[in-house]
Amino acid sequence: MSMGEAHRRITEYLNRFSDAISSQDGATFKSLFALSSNSPFLLSLGDALNLFQDPNRLIKQSDNYSQFADILVPLFRSLLNYRQNNLLEAYNAFEKTANAFIQEFRNWESAWALEALYVIVYDIRVLAEKADKELASNGKSPEKLKGAGSVLMKFFGTLAGKGSKRVGALYVTCQLFKIYFKLGTVHLCRSVIRSIETARIFDFEEFPKRDKVTYMYYTGRLEVFNENFPAADYKLSYALKHCNPQSEANIRMILKHLIPVKLSIGILPKNSLLEKYNLLEYSKIVQALRRGDLRLLRCALQDHEDRFLRSGVYLVLEKLELQVYQRLVKKIYIIQKQKDPGRAHQVKLEVIVKALKWLEIDMDVDEVECIVAILIYKNLMKGYFAHKSKVVVLSKQDPFPKLNGKPVNS
Amino acid sequence: MEGGYGNRGSSFSQSRRGRGRGRGQRFPSNQSKVSSFAERGTPSSSSANRASASVISNTLEDDAQPSSNFVGTCPYMCPERERIQREKLRDLAIFERLHGNPGKSSPALAVKKFCRTISTKYVQASDMRPITVLEDTLNYLLSLLESKEHLFEVVHDFVFDRTRSIRQDITMQNIVNKKAIYMYEGMVKFHVVSHYKLWCSMSDPNTASLHHLNMEQLTKTLASLFNLYEANQNSNHVHENEAEFHSLYVLLHLGSYSQPMGEPLSLWFQRVSTPVLKSKEMCFARRILRSFRLGNYKDFFCTAAAQASYLQFCIMMPYINEVRVLALSCINFGGYKLHPYPLLDLSKLLFIKESDLESFCNHCGLETGTDESGNKLLPTKQTTFSHPKGGFQRYSFLGLQEYER
Repeated sequence: MSMGEAHRRITEYLNRFSDAISSQDGATFKSLFALSSNSPFLLSLGDALNLFQDPNRLIKQSDNYSQFADILVPLFRSLLNYRQNNLLEAYNAFEKTANAFIQEFRNWESAWALEALYVIVYDIRVLAEKADKELASNGKSPEKLKGAGSVLMKFFGTLAGKGSKRVGALYVTCQLFKIYFKLGTVHLCRSVIRSIETARIFDFEEFPKRDKVTYMYYTGRLEVFNENFPAADYKLSYALKHCNPQSEANIRMILKHLIPVKLSIGILPKNSLLEKYNLLEYSKIVQALRRGDLRLLRCALQDHEDRFLRSGVYLVLEKLELQVYQRLVKKIYIIQKQKDPGRAHQVKLEVIVKALKWLEIDMDVDEVECIVAILIYKNLMKGYFAHKSKVVVLSKQDPFPKLNGKPVNS
Repeated sequence: MEGGYGNRGSSFSQSRRGRGRGRGQRFPSNQSKVSSFAERGTPSSSSANRASASVISNTLEDDAQPSSNFVGTCPYMCPERERIQREKLRDLAIFERLHGNPGKSSPALAVKKFCRTISTKYVQASDMRPITVLEDTLNYLLSLLESKEHLFEVVHDFVFDRTRSIRQDITMQNIVNKKAIYMYEGMVKFHVVSHYKLWCSMSDPNTASLHHLNMEQLTKTLASLFNLYEANQNSNHVHENEAEFHSLYVLLHLGSYSQPMGEPLSLWFQRVSTPVLKSKEMCFARRILRSFRLGNYKDFFCTAAAQASYLQFCIMMPYINEVRVLALSCINFGGYKLHPYPLLDLSKLLFIKESDLESFCNHCGLETGTDESGNKLLPTKQTTFSHPKGGFQRYSFLGLQEYER
């Protein structure tokens, strides 16, 4: 690339920038900030900036550009560094761009630049993640993603007002969620959620559908962490119902969290669903629940431990153990009922010990009594246990209540 | 007896080393991989990996800000300037007074205080202790925990503040090497042991507030330690004690839906390396967590009794009674009314002395009785059961009695 060509490219960018603003061309404007899209236009601009010694001189050349110098100067520096793979510097400069942009955005009456705001919000998160990778590989503290979170909180504050801009708040919220989930600081989601769900300026139905689905997905996951399964079911089911039916990856991502929630409230998925969305890691768990097979549950959790831990549902799945025990005792009860209907409601603890032994699980009678006591206490079983006789006496009415969409008593 | 301080060896380094050698007997070493801090030799690598941005900065002590390549030069446990000033102000802790004199200290006694308002702008190299001096200082402070002359709370208060200052100096100098790891492990251990000892005195309101503050520093210091492990990470290499300290984090989540570090455990697990996850220590902690969450009190007590290390015991002890209450709830609710539960059987189940168990039941609003042969019984289906308000009296956990002192 020659100096003349570099000059031409930079000038062309500046013209596009000022033209987009003067004609309120949102579509063009947003493309000017999309660093992470790696568009040939922006990459070649990076090359041009590298060649041209003083692009700031070009910015000062015309009032059309210079009035936006606060945005353009750091943006050029960001583009240059991004092209040269200096990701930390690219992020630092882009953060300045974002701050300058939001100042300008506040002054614009309408929401014409909302698409550009979305791009900046997205890119600041992506660049922060890249910068943190660079920092970590150099033995330094990765802290840019946290800084990006602070910038996005400012964006959220700007959008949270009267006027047409407020529909953009949910997109910013979702990007904040991605940051907090990655950092592990999900308690910070709380204040944003409170704003979205209680502030009078926001009407949830006004937000773009895509953002509502993402919002429900993340808040549903938060409810899973809190083991608030009815709320998690509602939110994740909403996301599933309203997401793009063509996007199998997204459906799969939602189901990965919704299935453990459904299991926790006693609803088992069909195997055809698991096959359709390649969620076969749940097959044996569902089977274990149907059969009352504790060994199978433990094997399934062990076989897919990494996957379940990385997706954050392992602890929820572990708790299904109580339902498996319930199912096991129920099966023993059913078998006894066939043999001797009159005495079916009395199950010797020793029989449960033997059944578990058959499943290759060694458990003494004290522990079985403990399990039985817990099942009764949590209303998974109705009846009482007699320590002296080592027997559990089941209620004659509905001894194994179904969960029917309600979680196990905590 | 305060005159005894004057007999301390005049050689700084010699007295430090000699004192540390005898500390091993405090904890049963066969039960924990985390041996006495002072027993561990200095790591052979002497090169300090100083990054220009501290990996500990996310849990920075208040206002301190790291600066590039700053190296302290203070040769004492306390900068001379500070010592002289505090002598004038008669601001000396009991451990810092020469011959008990509240206005006189010495380089072998004074230890730098934690400073809430510190800033790199005004700090001098002579105010900062380099890593070797910090190491000696920490050894000295931890040796004070052996003291029989003072209440634990008094020793704790002093060591708490002065270890915080040590962390401040480490952060200010951006020290992130293996020595920093060993030191942080020692400080976490101090807070973990304090967690247990202060919990034993929770009936005292002053101790309750110490316990709360200690938990705060425990979680912050543990988080910094994890950052240090990550900064010193080699592929598939796990630091000697890394697994045990990660297990402590899991055990801190035994409280009812507590998130001591603000992060759900499910999210945290995503970032733990596989070798740590599969370690014996983590498998223990995860099993205890599972039993706790399921309510399986039998497995909880048996596993704890069989496998808990001393540090794990210290974290778990406050939850032992929680699980006992749960067990009583279940048995009271589901037990056969006409056959009261023998207290002797129950005491074995809950790893508690029978006489303590009777007191425990009464504390939960449950009455106990006696049969014709004089055996104590717990009638079930009592409607007066209630979760005890406030703290518990201290009841032994018979499975790990050797840890209780």
